Amino acid sequence: MAFTIKQQLSSPAGVLKFLVKYNTIFIFILLLVFSALISDVFFTSVNLSNLLKQVSGIGVISIGMLLVILTGGIDLSVGSMVALLAVTFAILVNVVILPLAIVLTIIIGFALGSVSGYLVAYQRMAPFVATLALMTIARGLGFIYSKGSPITFKTPGGEFMSNFANNATIGIPNIAIVFFLIVILATILLRYNVFGRLIIAIGSNEEASRLSGIKVNKYKFLVYAISGALAATAAVIVASRTNLGSPNMGMAWELDAIAAVVIGGASLNGGKGSAINTLMGVLILGLIGNILNLLNVPSYPQQVVKGAIIIFAVLLQRFESK
Amino acid sequence: MKNSDSEYRLEMTGISKNFGVISVLENVNLKVKPGEIHALLGENGAGKSTLVKILSGVHQKDAGKVILDGEEINPKNTHDAQVLGISVVYQELSLVNDLSVAENIYLHKLGASKFWMNWKGMTKDAQELIDSLGFDIDASAIVRDLSIVQKQVVEIAKALSEETKILVLDEPTTVFDPTDTKKLFDNLFKLRDKGISIIYISHHLDEIFKIADSVTVLRDGVDTGSMAVSDTNTDGVIRLMIGRELKDLYPTRDVQIGEVPVLEVKDLTAKDTIVHDISFSVRPGEVLGIAGLGGSGRTETAKLVFGAHKKKSGTLILDGKEIKTMTPVCAVGYQIGFVSEDRKEEGVFLPLSIRRNISVTDFAGISGKLGFINTDTEYKNVLGLIEKLSIKTLSSEVDVKNLSGGNQQKVALAKWLSIDSKVIFIDEPTRGVDVGAKIEIYNLINEVAKKGVGVVVISSDMPEIMGIADRILVMYEGTFYGELTKEEFSEENILRYSIGKSLKQVV
Repeated sequence: MAFTIKQQLSSPAGVLKFLVKYNTIFIFILLLVFSALISDVFFTSVNLSNLLKQVSGIGVISIGMLLVILTGGIDLSVGSMVALLAVTFAILVNVVILPLAIVLTIIIGFALGSVSGYLVAYQRMAPFVATLALMTIARGLGFIYSKGSPITFKTPGGEFMSNFANNATIGIPNIAIVFFLIVILATILLRYNVFGRLIIAIGSNEEASRLSGIKVNKYKFLVYAISGALAATAAVIVASRTNLGSPNMGMAWELDAIAAVVIGGASLNGGKGSAINTLMGVLILGLIGNILNLLNVPSYPQQVVKGAIIIFAVLLQRFESK
Repeated sequence: MKNSDSEYRLEMTGISKNFGVISVLENVNLKVKPGEIHALLGENGAGKSTLVKILSGVHQKDAGKVILDGEEINPKNTHDAQVLGISVVYQELSLVNDLSVAENIYLHKLGASKFWMNWKGMTKDAQELIDSLGFDIDASAIVRDLSIVQKQVVEIAKALSEETKILVLDEPTTVFDPTDTKKLFDNLFKLRDKGISIIYISHHLDEIFKIADSVTVLRDGVDTGSMAVSDTNTDGVIRLMIGRELKDLYPTRDVQIGEVPVLEVKDLTAKDTIVHDISFSVRPGEVLGIAGLGGSGRTETAKLVFGAHKKKSGTLILDGKEIKTMTPVCAVGYQIGFVSEDRKEEGVFLPLSIRRNISVTDFAGISGKLGFINTDTEYKNVLGLIEKLSIKTLSSEVDVKNLSGGNQQKVALAKWLSIDSKVIFIDEPTRGVDVGAKIEIYNLINEVAKKGVGVVVISSDMPEIMGIADRILVMYEGTFYGELTKEEFSEENILRYSIGKSLKQVV
């Protein structure tokens, strides 16, 4: 019946096929080995936990981006949303109790995402356009509410969050645990839940979905709302890490998130992609930045390398479809 | 340089082609004379398309020779082939939706032209070309706004816009109704008389016997014979195609049709389409045929009942109770199914597995409260349906894009069987499906009817609809013009109703 991994590995062509199929994991391991060889500092716990902390925020919004991209859409607003919601969280944490501040921030994120969702699903606006508009609106609001400068945490609740975000449990940074939990949740949703099945179906053929009696609009609406809620989660994470909310946060994060999803093998046409692969995409991007930093490569050449890796990853995926 | 020794314009000899480890063509020969219509037949997956794609430069052959007018050719891409005078009209339309008809027809010249285009001249030429084919299409219209029939005509006009020696048509008539088909045939005869060689791929055997001069049959990548059409007959060709005798294309159905209609439709009128004042009923176990010309509103009628198009007025009664189907979601909730004529765009999810395709309608049946899917139940259901519909596949995890047309169609049907539909609308059940799979689909329709489902079949294929329907409603200009009982079935009667004429009085 189904081809097992064993069968795939039984021939040279099979090995190649296997590598191409799991190319993101393969690239990730390759980079890991390379990094370890090239730098003594890489495999230190300080560096690794730094790496994980750095990618957690972008990682969380990448999962939201994945859900949106699976339906064939795109969400350009997430970076600015992180800024606005980080400011929102910083304001809230100074006036209400911590749990309420977190819940309210996530609800506001969900509501902001719902605006994009409404425009895309019910007003048939192109996702690119609707979320582009939300992107500038959110960034603008962030500056308005913060009056242009960062808002620091001043309450015990804020202090608690700051401690939480900068500490680790059994060696894994807490915020990375939050990110991993979201990845696991997304994996379960996409594999074993109707919700995941349906958004993949919608992304692979929207008209056929409609004619199969799927509530296409409802699910399209929901993915943007969830993406907003995840942007709020990311905002809480990054604000807590730095003990403040700034309207300059999350600059161009939407592009990194898209890059992570694409490196993770998802198709921008929708219908193809997985949370684990997106995790790999996030880690690959983070690793590149990390190792280049360790090698003291300045940031502009880093951008060139990142771009090259994106091209390489996507070219490799072309073999898969053949 | 012409080689006067050969009577053939095109000789493809010993052609072999492998994709990976799979051999698609093995030592295939195809010889076509100038000024003949040569039919290329075979089931889906027999290798017809691959053979044509080798001729047109899309694929490269692994072995063999292609000789055109006495000279060996090796087209590396479609442009090479076009320059050599080989034009192909593919089954999948390859038009640019946002350009005009004229721009599409002369697309290949747009790239090669000098800085300025002569738009007026081009549009005029295109219009003349289309007029000469006898179809009524405005050359300056945007292709997106054309019907699928018109698009197919543009596709053919595009192939003819170059100096053509060999014209290949892959299933050109699947979207045509009989009048359009006849027009196309007249054009093909004209081209043939001009000395053009035409390679014609079709599943419609009756078409082949109407127009082709000779025929080559492929089976599983091997050519099983070439002959003059006058030397064979339908049975002989089918034998070569499927390697066995074909007993009965339209299997008989032994079903007790219920008395009380399962679905009644009264005075249904659409908001946005020409469909108006539709009334009909279908009984449990009945197969109701809907015939009519392209554009008469057949598909639109089904989509209207199914909720995919907006209604203006009218009532639907399911099992004696009035229902409202505002959207397909409602219709599916009432266990009404709809299999689209456009399998790839509206019917199946090509990049997804068979399992995911079939389960898509039945999440209520396989998932718990929070929407978590019970994979055991899912596999059980899906594997059961795969076996029941004899979908030919290695496993339930194979992507639907890798299945043949017939098996894709079975998958499209399977999702409606998984939810025990009460009424199923099937639009063009066997479009682009080979003979073997056709019979399986007819058997399937019979079985569905046997379970007491009301089946509504829309078809342009007249022998088909007469072969499987218990009763036929014929549409004309957006409404039912007439009803034919089994005794009245004939191509002539269907045609008379579909052009708005009454039946001939029997004297």
